[in-house]
Amino acid sequence: MDMAPTTYYVALSGLLFAIGMIGVLTRRTAILIFLSVELMLNAANLALVAFARSWGDLAGQTAVFIVMTLAAAEVAIGLAIIVAIFRKRETTNVDDLATLKG
Amino acid sequence: MIAFMLLGALALVGAVITITARNAVHAALGLVGTLLSVAGLFASLSASFLAAIQVIVYAGAILVLFLFVIMLLNANQPITGRDPVPFVRELAGIGGVILAGALAIIAFSYRDPRPLAEGAGALRGGTAVAVGETLLTRFLLPFEAVSILLLVAIVGSVALVKRPVPQPDGLTDAEGVALPTESPERTAPEGGVRA
Repeated sequence: MDMAPTTYYVALSGLLFAIGMIGVLTRRTAILIFLSVELMLNAANLALVAFARSWGDLAGQTAVFIVMTLAAAEVAIGLAIIVAIFRKRETTNVDDLATLKG
Repeated sequence: MIAFMLLGALALVGAVITITARNAVHAALGLVGTLLSVAGLFASLSASFLAAIQVIVYAGAILVLFLFVIMLLNANQPITGRDPVPFVRELAGIGGVILAGALAIIAFSYRDPRPLAEGAGALRGGTAVAVGETLLTRFLLPFEAVSILLLVAIVGSVALVKRPVPQPDGLTDAEGVALPTESPERTAPEGGVRA
């Protein structure tokens, strides 16, 4: 069986992470920043699973399972916050949400 | 190897669509492509359970939630107008290239501690049985902590989107803020507070 080496997976994960970071920095809508954060989480998950195979240890895969649960909780709370902000301000543009005053 | 190249290319294309698409729905669909490709990569890394969970939870539940919110808030038009941060695209691009380069250096200096076939064999295919055994023995405490976190997230998200109920006296709302005297039932969303 022809298996791709771990380094390729980790390099792909790094690329996805960097793309996600560019998205977080350049996007101007809170929802799209959130989407980019999901991309970064997935890149980290990919690296964890690649290292799990490299070391033959299921701890990496278990960690990914927990990260996915955290991501689901984070999305639920984050989107609820975005909806709450939208109701109050009628915008999700993060440039308009720069004040601390509610 | 061919599967890795194909799925990796698809994941990168999806990621680029996610961060460049003008329409938020297109960005979310690009992310679906990336998530499904990453699920395929998980399967090729002998993590079959995680591949299934990735499709069900991420591409299924989480992305549907995203699409719901994008449509609910009607946020699929791009924001026009001048960006208040100067050169943010250029700087973010440079930073991303530097980060990707640094991570690539780390990735290509990594050496597997043992042959790949041996490591993949020790994972027992990453089935639900194998992952579940690890989760309920070595990682029992994080597993239980996550269940509490999920409960808090459910309560928190319900509490966040709940509309405040007017108090019986009609003078203050649920947060104790004085209401405009002429409309105690807060139909117009905080018209007085926002000004």
